[in-house]
Amino acid sequence: MTTLNDRDALLENLGLDAQNKAALGKLLNTGNIAQASEGADGRMKATVRINPDEICWDPSILVLPHGGDLDLELINDDQNTHCALLPSNGDKKFIWLVNHSKGRASLNLDGPGYYWYSSPSGNDEGRGLTAVIVVLGDVPPEARLDRPDQPRPF
Amino acid sequence: MTTSDYVDAGEAVDQGRLSGKVAGGEIAPPVTENLTYERILDARSEPENWLTYYGTYDGQRYSTLDQINTENVSRIGPAWIFQAGVSGIIAGTSTYSFEATPIVVDGVMFLSGWDGWVWALDGRTGKEIWRYKHAVPFDVSLCCGNVNRGVAVASGKVFFVTANAHVIALDAGTGKRVWDKTYGDVRAGESGTLAPIVVKNLVIVGSSGGEFGVRGHLDAFDVETGEHQWRSYMVPKPGEPGSESWPADGEAWARGGGNCWLTGTFDPETNLLYWGTGNPAPDFDGGVREGDNLYTDSIVAIDVDSGQIRWHYQCTPHDVWDYDSMSECILFERDGRKLLAHFDKNGYMFVLDRTNGERVSITPFVDRITWGAISRDGQVVPKIYPEEEGVEVHFYPGPAGAKEWTHAAYSPKTGWFYVPIQDVGATAARRRREFREGIPYWSAGVAVDIEEAVGYLSAFDADGNEKWRWRNELPMCASVLATAGDLVFAGEPSGEFNAYDARTGDLLWQFQCGSGHHSSPVTYAIDGRQYIAVPVGWGGWAEGFLPGMLGAGHGSALIVFALPEQTPSRGDH
Ligand SMILES: [Cu+2]
Repeated sequence: MTTLNDRDALLENLGLDAQNKAALGKLLNTGNIAQASEGADGRMKATVRINPDEICWDPSILVLPHGGDLDLELINDDQNTHCALLPSNGDKKFIWLVNHSKGRASLNLDGPGYYWYSSPSGNDEGRGLTAVIVVLGDVPPEARLDRPDQPRPF
Repeated sequence: MTTSDYVDAGEAVDQGRLSGKVAGGEIAPPVTENLTYERILDARSEPENWLTYYGTYDGQRYSTLDQINTENVSRIGPAWIFQAGVSGIIAGTSTYSFEATPIVVDGVMFLSGWDGWVWALDGRTGKEIWRYKHAVPFDVSLCCGNVNRGVAVASGKVFFVTANAHVIALDAGTGKRVWDKTYGDVRAGESGTLAPIVVKNLVIVGSSGGEFGVRGHLDAFDVETGEHQWRSYMVPKPGEPGSESWPADGEAWARGGGNCWLTGTFDPETNLLYWGTGNPAPDFDGGVREGDNLYTDSIVAIDVDSGQIRWHYQCTPHDVWDYDSMSECILFERDGRKLLAHFDKNGYMFVLDRTNGERVSITPFVDRITWGAISRDGQVVPKIYPEEEGVEVHFYPGPAGAKEWTHAAYSPKTGWFYVPIQDVGATAARRRREFREGIPYWSAGVAVDIEEAVGYLSAFDADGNEKWRWRNELPMCASVLATAGDLVFAGEPSGEFNAYDARTGDLLWQFQCGSGHHSSPVTYAIDGRQYIAVPVGWGGWAEGFLPGMLGAGHGSALIVFALPEQTPSRGDH
């Protein structure tokens, strides 16, 4: 048995942190976590990239402080073509990312909650190019229930 | 390496632009611009359209179209199919289901799917005109499936709710968002599943989430601006009328349920909305909420202008079986009396005077009722329910009810109600738990019968006398449509879509749709040709009403039927 602190080392030892080591793909949810930054106008900003031979969005968990508009930069440093299908209010957003390319997506998410996105091409998703955008925060006060504060989970 | 080394991939585009259907975005003809309250009020006079959730405000799900009739229905076939299959990972993959009622206005169909989808389609060909997709969080609390029951359309806008409890107005021409309001608290486990209803200048929506211990409510927004007009809670606060039906101490009321998770009906003469409310929370442990628990499991009459409750009738006081009373109240008249009929999950048909809530009759409509009994004078006597901690009891009907949310129809021509019936029991054992916000609050272990589940489609007169019954080896879990062609349409869980003779119950036509039915068929006409449309896609809260079919394929198609085009019109033969 190992503890949580050994997670990265264990993934590496077991060969689950890269494509075609122990497993065929890079295991989902083994990537980095990052927070979006927020501009003075309230728009949020972040960059996700695909590093060479990793088949993983970096970060694979992107945290937004609240719902709203996100300007996302997408960079493909890999030597294969990928794409992105991203959640956004209105319609999902799609972009091709050929080898060594850089693109943009502007997304509107009204959270709270988390949203999946992926590269829906050639089973990129199954091999690791599946990631998540987490939206923190609460719904507006007028949408909440008129009742005393209720106990939340420990 | 410098930035200039990168190939410019440009800006991400709407996925719909790559669908082969929406070449750069198309515009629907302006059919909804003059869709006013007056027109919706008089919807029966334009049977070529299906203008509001039940077709008309009275909830009858009846159309005066009669081109398709008992003589020729055997010759109808698919006119077109809309395939809504989608790419990407969705919330509630295991529970998504196509449960919407299509709305049709002068040749254009407006339709919602699961997971935040809305489409405008050409009603004659099924070609997609535009689409809208709301981003639904993967971790949204679903109560109890990834489902949506449809849109409302008025004055150039399409209204719908999302699983994360937003009510959204789209431009009916373009599908672009006009306004967007949050009306529920997803952290508390609230969600949205119903089709909104537009009355006067208001779009009215209710909350879902009764299994999470929320406080159910109905909300009204201004059609044009989205400004909030009123909220009506279905569980009274201490001191408010009805609060004496909750424990005086503690906060049981604050987590009491009573959600309005299905669309209500409306009578312009009484100016009242008739809305069914959901179960109290916790569902099965009555010990922590002694009393009748108003206004859960009730038919509530609400003044549409003010949102105030005028009267209520509680179908299952102190419910400990999960018998929501959220289903439709069908408005009809008899002997000059203004009545409403309601087929409750608890197995009884209630007929009330809709001006004051007075009881007219109560009649059982399913064979097996063991949870308790309601006498003709309205006395409710509980018999079997989860009472002792950990002790299993078995009762009929199970928590999905003798009839769940799917709707009955009423034909003014025959004067009969057509009811999809589920005759299924369940075993439950009380397991008391502490309430925690946003965590399911059932307080029981429940298993719905898998082996022994049957159903039927029955016709009842207004006194509750059964006129005919069509038996099925599976429960009937889809809404019924009645037409002036003396036809009744209803789908089966196993995929068959059926047409019956409204007077005899004879099965006249059947088509295997490839997935089970759990939606609401409608009928409409374009250029004199009558169509029957049914969204098909099994799923939803199947563990509650038919766990024996949890493994069935989901499906996601809308199938539209018509007579062959060369068919002579009625009267020519
Ligand atoms: Cu319920």
